[in-house]
Amino acid sequence: MTTLTLTRSRVSRKDPDRYKQGTARWVVLALVVLTAALVLVPFLIMVMNAFKSPADYSGNGPLAWPESFQLDGLKNYWQQVHFEGKLLNSIIISGSVAMLGVVLSLLNAYALGVGRVRGRIWITGLFLLANMISQEALVYPLYSMAKSFGLYNSRLSVIIIFTVIQSAFGTYLLASVLGTFPKALLEAAALDGAGRWTTLWRVVVPTVRPTLSVLLIFFFIWTWNEFFIPLVMLIDNSTQTVPLALASLQGDRLMDATTTNAGALISLLPTVVFFLIFQRTLTRGVTVGAVK
Amino acid sequence: MRSPRTMISMGAAIVSLALVLAGCSGGDDSGGDAGGTGTGTLKLWHYESANGAMGKAWDRAIEVFKTEHPGVTVEFERKAFEQIQQNASMILASDQAPDLMEYNKGNATAGLLSSKGLLTDLSDEVASRGWDKALSPSLQTTAKYDEKGVMGTGNWFGIPNYGEYVMVYYNKALFQQYGVTVPKTLDEFTAAMDKFVAKKVTPLGMAGAEYPAGQLYYELALSKADRSFVDNYQLYKGSVDFTADPLKYGADTFRDWVQKGYISKQSASLKAEDMGTAFIAGKTPMIVSGSWWYGRFASEIKKFEWGTFLFPGNKLNAGSSGNLWVVPEQSKNKKLAYDFIDITMRPEIQTIMANNGGVPVKADLAKVTDPKNKELIANFEAITQADGLAFYPDWPVPGYYDVLVAGGQSLINGSKNPDQVLTDLGKAYDQGVQEIKNG
Amino acid sequence: MTRGKAGFWWYLLPGAVAFTAIVAVPFGANLYLSLTKWSGIGDPRWIGLDNYTRLLRDDVFWTSFRNTAAMVIAMVVIPTLIGLVLSATLFDVIGRRFGQKTASFLRATFYLPQVLPVVVAGILWGWLLRPDGAVNAVGRAIGLGEHDWLGDPKTALPMVMLVLIWVQIGYPVVIFMAALQRVDPDLYEAAEIDGAGWFRRFQAITLPQIRPETFVVALTCTIAALKVFGPIWALTRGGPNNATTVPSYFAYNAFFNKLQVGYGAAVATALTLVIVVVSIGFLKVQGRVEES
Repeated sequence: MTTLTLTRSRVSRKDPDRYKQGTARWVVLALVVLTAALVLVPFLIMVMNAFKSPADYSGNGPLAWPESFQLDGLKNYWQQVHFEGKLLNSIIISGSVAMLGVVLSLLNAYALGVGRVRGRIWITGLFLLANMISQEALVYPLYSMAKSFGLYNSRLSVIIIFTVIQSAFGTYLLASVLGTFPKALLEAAALDGAGRWTTLWRVVVPTVRPTLSVLLIFFFIWTWNEFFIPLVMLIDNSTQTVPLALASLQGDRLMDATTTNAGALISLLPTVVFFLIFQRTLTRGVTVGAVK
Repeated sequence: MRSPRTMISMGAAIVSLALVLAGCSGGDDSGGDAGGTGTGTLKLWHYESANGAMGKAWDRAIEVFKTEHPGVTVEFERKAFEQIQQNASMILASDQAPDLMEYNKGNATAGLLSSKGLLTDLSDEVASRGWDKALSPSLQTTAKYDEKGVMGTGNWFGIPNYGEYVMVYYNKALFQQYGVTVPKTLDEFTAAMDKFVAKKVTPLGMAGAEYPAGQLYYELALSKADRSFVDNYQLYKGSVDFTADPLKYGADTFRDWVQKGYISKQSASLKAEDMGTAFIAGKTPMIVSGSWWYGRFASEIKKFEWGTFLFPGNKLNAGSSGNLWVVPEQSKNKKLAYDFIDITMRPEIQTIMANNGGVPVKADLAKVTDPKNKELIANFEAITQADGLAFYPDWPVPGYYDVLVAGGQSLINGSKNPDQVLTDLGKAYDQGVQEIKNG
Repeated sequence: MTRGKAGFWWYLLPGAVAFTAIVAVPFGANLYLSLTKWSGIGDPRWIGLDNYTRLLRDDVFWTSFRNTAAMVIAMVVIPTLIGLVLSATLFDVIGRRFGQKTASFLRATFYLPQVLPVVVAGILWGWLLRPDGAVNAVGRAIGLGEHDWLGDPKTALPMVMLVLIWVQIGYPVVIFMAALQRVDPDLYEAAEIDGAGWFRRFQAITLPQIRPETFVVALTCTIAALKVFGPIWALTRGGPNNATTVPSYFAYNAFFNKLQVGYGAAVATALTLVIVVVSIGFLKVQGRVEES
């Protein structure tokens, strides 16, 4: 890596203006586009196989162009796993976790970053523990707890668990950002007679809204793709999520590759759509705006 | 200023919103009717694919059940194999357990759960409904478990509905092209493979990352084994020597076959799916694998003729009863569950299985139309009647599957010699058996 | 009205309660289980420190920790470095010369693997790296011959690392690009007019600006690398012959395949301990940098 940046720097140091008019910027563009294309290759293969018939797949392998485009795989998958129900479960779970997780992170980070309570580094570290412990370690105890509260096989159990796990990251990120929150804004609010609660919602939240959006997107997508804990906690159709539905296609010894690809494609689409809709908020990003 | 109380009530509001969204808990079981035959719910889970032999047969069984129990709602769900494999003990220990479930046979699965009291003892039902009459002794082995959860003796905790065994699938077109005939003995088998190798064709498909390598090693070992070896290895009736035949022969010959080019050196990372699709594509002359492929090959291979033969010369073959019907102890409608099992044992349902490339436990061969399907079932009956089912190599010890996969991969890529592999296999085996004996 | 810091403690209350219930109590239970012999059903039997002494003698355990170093390189070091260069290039060169739309589109492309459920990513890459897969087809075409990439103990780990880099790269790119939005574009213009080359601008403007995010990315990715599970489970299951096994997979295997819950709990505890130590070190360094 270092050698790469060094050689590039030598070129650019000699002639800093090359990027403006010269061909160098096209070279840079081509390099970046090439990298992006490499990233995309596996997705193209997935899409290709999602539209094949099983016989076509077995006969010609995964890399051949489909003999004919078939929607059967997609249709079969949708009906087989009752996809609409799984979609609803995933939206409820990921949506609730995203919202609750952001609120919880915000409350924690407000005390840690703006409030600067004593021992905040240690407290941040403690919260991060939720992120550090491997999920396998929590599974058996969480199962017993959920069972005794009557929450085993309920979406609520997964919502609560992931709200806490995701907010560990949120607390850490937000606390770092709020640690650099402009004092002038807080003092101005205090002069206006605003209390802590008012300051949080009227001054802090509007300023860090872009960061909150980023967290919301991350939490949603991360929770959507979670597999292990939902696999343990959610055991039937009324509660299961999209990735679990995908797993139900893989049998004991057999796996129908085309349907798996079709399922993967359908399972991926909602998060891609979600990401594309909200990606504009990422532009504003992890920032403490209004600093000027 | 606003007090923390406002904050808490806000929090409460958000949480209750989530509660409403989440619709409280997902498991509202309405099947409270215990003893009755006419009403209630049968919650039924299995993990067979919808278009496979078992899936089709059991779909029909559900219809039959509904017509015979008009007041009963059947809540059927197709589950992920992985989920049942991983979480069966958690599910069955909760009040969310189904009334009837397909579950893996063997000590580490059905055996363990039965020994912990999570499965219903079916012995009385077996006697009164005569299910045992449909099942030959080697099929019964995997249905009975003793108090430590070791199979073979004790009470009935599961009912197998179908059988499975390992055989050789071959591509008739390729056999013809290279002038190879179906081998009858192990020597003929290797001679046939030499012919392919001479023409630069790898004769035997393999998948090192999953079960096929372990099963070939076991088949090779079984060619030098007798029943007492199987009893020692699978039922812990005596000690197993990993430095001597038959296991030594299995590992040595496997490595030998790789070196002679019968098996590709580049198959260590392949999955069973890859091996199967390569056979379907007509690229592989032979694979050694189980009857679970049969239905799929029948429906997907269109371009060439194919057939099967038993592993040449073997009296013992890897194979067993299929997965079991088990009735969880927490089942709320055991009577309905028994009724359903009974329906699946009927000739009508068993014949559907047979006609779709499955191996039923009680076949009416006269009603099986396809001669190939007939052959498949006849071969299985021949094995069971000769008491030739030897189960699978990974069964004796929990977690042994991964050890076998690692060993098979080492034999394929040559990173360890057969003796080293056998040492690893023996160590894990001895440790595991020790754990089981200590309880 | 209360001034001072004491009132901020209230804001930590919901987080503390949730954390205790979902993380602290289950982890305590896990600690207890690690001192017992238990198959997951029935009553655990107390065996003291036996699981831990057995752990220290287990070769696979040590192999799994050695492989973790490779995971850190693949999930932290390389993606962060590439992410720095890519985001700076996208922001400074592509964004300013070819328009914000192009930059956003490319960023979305790099992020796509992050949206993909990791199990699906594993299946996709399994195909590409198969002996008769696309990678070997390319290898044959350019005369490099073919290889069983995931089957050879020497190449399996590098290939897993490659897949992880592919999965991870979008995360730093998105976070770093968001951070760069804070930078006044005039700053780059001015620097350019002063004759500062690309590397000079990267060094003097980009790097200092995104230092907080670099810490966040590095720490969260390090934690993720130490407890990585999904990609290993989907790609190699730790094989061939444990060449790619990692602590989380090792623990999972003990929990669910070998039914040695106590032993699995001991592995998970040891892993958590390592993660905690590393994270504390991280937070200390970050605290020191922020102070200065």
